[in-house]
Amino acid sequence: MEWAWLIPIFSFAAAPLVVLFGKHLPGKGAPLSILAIGGGFVVFWFVLDSWLGAHAGTSGCFTSENTGLLTCDYERSWFNAGIIGDVGSVSLNWGILIDPLTIAMLGLVTFVALMVQVYSLAYMKGDPRFGWYFAVHSLFAAAMLTLVLADNFLLLYVAWELVGICSYLLIGFWHERPKAREAAKKAFIVTRIGDVGLLIGILLIWREVGSFSMLDAFEAARTGAMSEGVATASAILLFLGAMGKSAQVPFHVWLPDAMEGPTPVSALIHAATMVVAGVYLVARTFPLFEAYDADPLLVVSIVGLVTALGAATIALVATDLKRILAYSTISHLGLMMLSLGAFGYTAAIFHMMAHGFSKALLFLGAGSVLHSTESQETGEMGGLRKVMPLTAIVFSLGALSLGGIPILAGFWSKDEILVAVNDNRNVTFIVLTLFTALLSALYMGRAMFLVFWGPLKDRNSNVHDAPLAMALPMVLLGVLALGFGLISFNWPGSFGGFGTFVFFGHGEPFHFEVWLGALSIVMALAAFYAAYQIYAVKSISLDGLRSRNSGFLKIVENKYYFDEVYQWTIDRVVLVFSRFIAYFDRAIINDIIVNGPADLTRKFGIMIRVHVTGHVYTYTLAMALGSVGLGIFVWLRVV
Amino acid sequence: MVDLVYFQLLSAALFVIGLYGVMARRSAVLIVMSIELMLNAVNINLIAAASHMDGTGKFANFDGQLIAIFIITVAAAEVGLALAIILRIYRNRSTVNVDEINLMKW
Repeated sequence: MEWAWLIPIFSFAAAPLVVLFGKHLPGKGAPLSILAIGGGFVVFWFVLDSWLGAHAGTSGCFTSENTGLLTCDYERSWFNAGIIGDVGSVSLNWGILIDPLTIAMLGLVTFVALMVQVYSLAYMKGDPRFGWYFAVHSLFAAAMLTLVLADNFLLLYVAWELVGICSYLLIGFWHERPKAREAAKKAFIVTRIGDVGLLIGILLIWREVGSFSMLDAFEAARTGAMSEGVATASAILLFLGAMGKSAQVPFHVWLPDAMEGPTPVSALIHAATMVVAGVYLVARTFPLFEAYDADPLLVVSIVGLVTALGAATIALVATDLKRILAYSTISHLGLMMLSLGAFGYTAAIFHMMAHGFSKALLFLGAGSVLHSTESQETGEMGGLRKVMPLTAIVFSLGALSLGGIPILAGFWSKDEILVAVNDNRNVTFIVLTLFTALLSALYMGRAMFLVFWGPLKDRNSNVHDAPLAMALPMVLLGVLALGFGLISFNWPGSFGGFGTFVFFGHGEPFHFEVWLGALSIVMALAAFYAAYQIYAVKSISLDGLRSRNSGFLKIVENKYYFDEVYQWTIDRVVLVFSRFIAYFDRAIINDIIVNGPADLTRKFGIMIRVHVTGHVYTYTLAMALGSVGLGIFVWLRVV
Repeated sequence: MVDLVYFQLLSAALFVIGLYGVMARRSAVLIVMSIELMLNAVNINLIAAASHMDGTGKFANFDGQLIAIFIITVAAAEVGLALAIILRIYRNRSTVNVDEINLMKW
């Protein structure tokens, strides 16, 4: 198990190799990149196997008192700063921490990254920066894998920022387009605002605990060595970082714009890397959130609920296929946060995986559609199931899964979230969560029926289905979207279900609230039926509803004016302030403090240089007069 | 014996003529010659003073003569050096006018 660090190392090594020697490698280095992540995927199975065989006595392993999970920590000294043994000296360690949460993440990230890279082989074919794409992809996956393996905040932060820079590079991959450049910058800067919170939180913990190790921090929070104020403050600050990365309101604005990147990148960002990093961070540092009165968790659940609901309504009116999926991701990330905030640790992680597989599938399907129709507008699609049946089937699987149709993965995970919210939060939460679930089914149905049902447009009559390299990952992900939910059950045998694998506190076998389950099934079916009637058969017209609620519709279509508010803030507050700072810098710092003495010296030089005439006689005269003066001086002194 | 003040007047006159030459002339050669004049004015002054001393000083009567001989030696070396420099300048710039030798001026 201590060899788990090999998983990211493969991809870390592949990235520079592909950049430097990509031109000379077969397939411009793409196979090397795929081989690296594939190697990571293989090692993942060995790690899983050895974890299942481990027990509290295995070297490095113990049952954590904070999480109740069998945790394995392999730590090495990184460097020491200061005099060893001195009070002020700092010893920094780095290492890997493996518990079921890590293993679940490793599986999700390696598998989705592998699928996306294979898919990209066909999708990115012919792109002038084909090799660069795969190199950054490798680095992205490696950074995310390091992030989930890190056993201390410092390494986590390094990986966290690497994930950020890779997403910047990939979103702005087609940097010839101004919109892609803008989107990349936006993603980087918005997440960066949250990162400041994360960094302050980490430093706060370090100040209090004297160590960057997560296990030390959790231990301090549990035993009370970390005071309640610090635990709460650091949890909130860490959550700020998570909000940025996981696109929670009000930091969600970067994610829809990130659609400017290549579609497989969206699949990766939305399913396996980047956005799940935030959810992972909250899950990983859950002991800090849960310590004392678990106040931060209320914040987490409220932010999650607002995000889930707000994004779901926008997804319902968006017309760009990728944007529908983007807002759907934001909504589901909100659900995960909500679930974490409602103590639904298992449910959140389970939903992260189910959503990851489904959303990767949806994006790959969408990519297939965009690839052949060369359009992102749902209005220009329709009836595509006739020309691209395979894409239609797998896309529908993803949509139905996220919509919450039974036996698909999304149904089980969403149901667990509902149970957690129902158990631990009040009635407002469960009602709004159910409403979000309903909206989720509705917009998923809308996307699916708008694109694949209805009459086929003429412009799309000669589109083709996905080639093999694109079809294979979609089919594999489709199988998972279909069957992943089955691992949540308590199967006969040694496996007690996902709830006894990843949990917080104590393992719980799968349980099912019948009325909630029934309600959500009915709602999901009704929503899909309604979507079918509205968008496929077009037997129900929404014109009346639209005109009656045109005011509200306008607000939602403008995404609640978040972008406008940000733009206004940037224009009127940030830029005005920066202009003042710039003026101060130019007028005071530069002109007066720096240039001032220089000018003074120069002017003084000009003033006094007149005595350097270059004529010998003036020098001689001065010398003579000086001698005479000196003589008079001496004479006066003597007399 | 001629009074010391006449020697000093001669010396002062020679010195001032030399000083005038250094300041007024443009030719480097003439400037060097004027400097020689000033040096010799000093020599006259020193020797005159030495020969008029009463011989009770610590270094007796030889101080002035000694320094004068020393000055003559240095002056010879200085003239050699100065003429060599002037020659080089003339080779390079085809002039010995000090007003035109102004490369080092600001």
